[in-house]
Amino acid sequence: MSDPVIVETPDAAPAPQGGTSWLGFMNRARGVVRPPIFDRHYYLGVAVFLVALGLLGPVLFTSLSAQYLLNLWMVYCIAGIGFYWVFGLAGKFAFCQTFMMALGGFMSAWLTKATGYNLPFLVGLIGAMVITGFIALVVGLAVKRAQAFYFAIATLALTEVGTTIFQHWTAFAGPNGTQSGLKPPSLFGYTFTSNSKVFWLFFGVLGIVLFAAAMIERSPLRREAIAARDNFLVAQISGVPGFGRQLTLFVAGSALGGLSGALFGHWDGSVSSSSFGIELAIGLFLMLLLGGVGSMWGPVVGAIFYVAIPQWLSSVQQYSQVIYGVVLLVVVIAVPEGLVGLIRKFGNLAMVSYRRARGRRPEHA
Amino acid sequence: MEKFVALLFSGVAYGAVLAIVSLGFLVLYKATGVINFAHGDLVTLGAYLAAWFISTSGIPIVLSYVIAIVAMFLVGVVLERVAHAPLRKRPVIVVVIATLAASIVIEGIIAVWQGSQPVPLPSPVGNSTVTILGASISDQRILIIVVAFIAVTAMVLVFQRTSFGRQLRALASDQATAQLQGIRVRPIAVIAFGLSAALAALAGVLVGPLSALTIQFGFNLMVLAFAAAVIGGFGSIGGAIVGSLIMGLTQQLLGGYIFTEYANSLPFILLFIVIVLRPTGLFNVQRARL
Repeated sequence: MSDPVIVETPDAAPAPQGGTSWLGFMNRARGVVRPPIFDRHYYLGVAVFLVALGLLGPVLFTSLSAQYLLNLWMVYCIAGIGFYWVFGLAGKFAFCQTFMMALGGFMSAWLTKATGYNLPFLVGLIGAMVITGFIALVVGLAVKRAQAFYFAIATLALTEVGTTIFQHWTAFAGPNGTQSGLKPPSLFGYTFTSNSKVFWLFFGVLGIVLFAAAMIERSPLRREAIAARDNFLVAQISGVPGFGRQLTLFVAGSALGGLSGALFGHWDGSVSSSSFGIELAIGLFLMLLLGGVGSMWGPVVGAIFYVAIPQWLSSVQQYSQVIYGVVLLVVVIAVPEGLVGLIRKFGNLAMVSYRRARGRRPEHA
Repeated sequence: MEKFVALLFSGVAYGAVLAIVSLGFLVLYKATGVINFAHGDLVTLGAYLAAWFISTSGIPIVLSYVIAIVAMFLVGVVLERVAHAPLRKRPVIVVVIATLAASIVIEGIIAVWQGSQPVPLPSPVGNSTVTILGASISDQRILIIVVAFIAVTAMVLVFQRTSFGRQLRALASDQATAQLQGIRVRPIAVIAFGLSAALAALAGVLVGPLSALTIQFGFNLMVLAFAAAVIGGFGSIGGAIVGSLIMGLTQQLLGGYIFTEYANSLPFILLFIVIVLRPTGLFNVQRARL
């Protein structure tokens, strides 16, 4: 039996045993478990995070390379949250998240290029999200019945074919799959020219994405997607439209990938299909696993490590890769539920001891 | 006609190598349920070991190959001890990340040990060619097809006819029941890791001489072999062999004649179509279970 206090903490929704989490909606009628929709702390968490980032980011990251890493981290956060929706919630291993990033970058470049349509930056971003979402919808419908490995391999196939097309389709993706000369991002007449200015753009976009993610964390969408992920058949019998939920998350997550790729392209000035290869796909997977698969904060925390560890290890030169792998192995063995899971475990322990100290028995059904 | 024969041979040779890689993959998957992301790097490591034995000690080429394959069996056992045994009680996903970590470590070790320059791997048949129906075929490709045929037949016999194979199949179909019947999971896992790594090394030394060795070449081979196993219906041995041949032939024949620029992505287009039409592969072995 698990500690009853855990039921009371609002974050306990994705119970790893499966089943218990989505049965929450039956308990709601009896008023036993408060569904997360009644909790405000998701928004509070996002607000605290954004205030901290907004205050500390420009102060702590002053050198040019540090600002670059900070911005890169934010781009990865956006793509990572998208991947969290697809893999963490819907349980679909989408190899194509990096393809979506590349496609988003190319789409935005195509729309906004001065020699082409010369549309504003914002239109480029929206175009990137629309096209990636649309491709995800088509692919998701086409491989509707594919599960597990088969879905992973179908999306891998999409990525490989897409990369080859980018290599050859010069009009869309530039010579040899590299499109350069993208406009720097500009909004309402203000142009974000330097890394420190781009920080505020990314800050705003990440803020919107985090609030959207918090909405999903509170919504029945998350609960039902997890139900369908853990046992598709039982979820369907219980009236959860499993496939629809998974498709929604796949489309939304891919659109975030496109958004992130477009942001990266305009910031960097160029998009290259080779920089969104299979290494980055595995990198996104690692971000999620290092941070924790069970929460929207997982990719945010994991991306810190993904960006920072190679920097820390650059002093050991050629051994960096070996040490990186060993660190990864140690982290996996020590904290299999990811760093967010670790923090949450300590949080629960603290809450239990706090209640004990007040001499109050935890309330539960 | 010459072109067709040449493409046919290279397609079959490529498919044969993929079949060995995907068999190595499947042995491990059947015994332990683990998808080994380090498998491609084991292919690379096996080929590098063989090249190193040949260049440093002057051992005959074929003997070096055999030593490399035996050494890789031991590497597989070590990998089981390091990345699988301590995690046996953990969810499979944790073991999968551990194999990813192992893959990064192996690549790092090769980079430190051999550098990033391509390394040539000598072949026992050299660069000679034979002429078949007017097409000149390199002896290496013939060697690949012959050796792969022997290896794959041997593996199928091991699966179907030996006690080890029976235990492996029992574990694959239901681990808990197999354990209740007294099948010893741990020794089987150790042997499966070793066998899988040895097969990887065999594939490495076969395909290595066709081009120079680079750190990434095994990884690319692994991705295609995984795809081949999926086409066949993941877990089916026969399916993996057929899938590998389909992948090799599509890439060479279709790519050689019609879509030359897109040759590398043809197997993936085929893959996508197969998954759309048959979402659980051509030869499905999975059953629905609550």
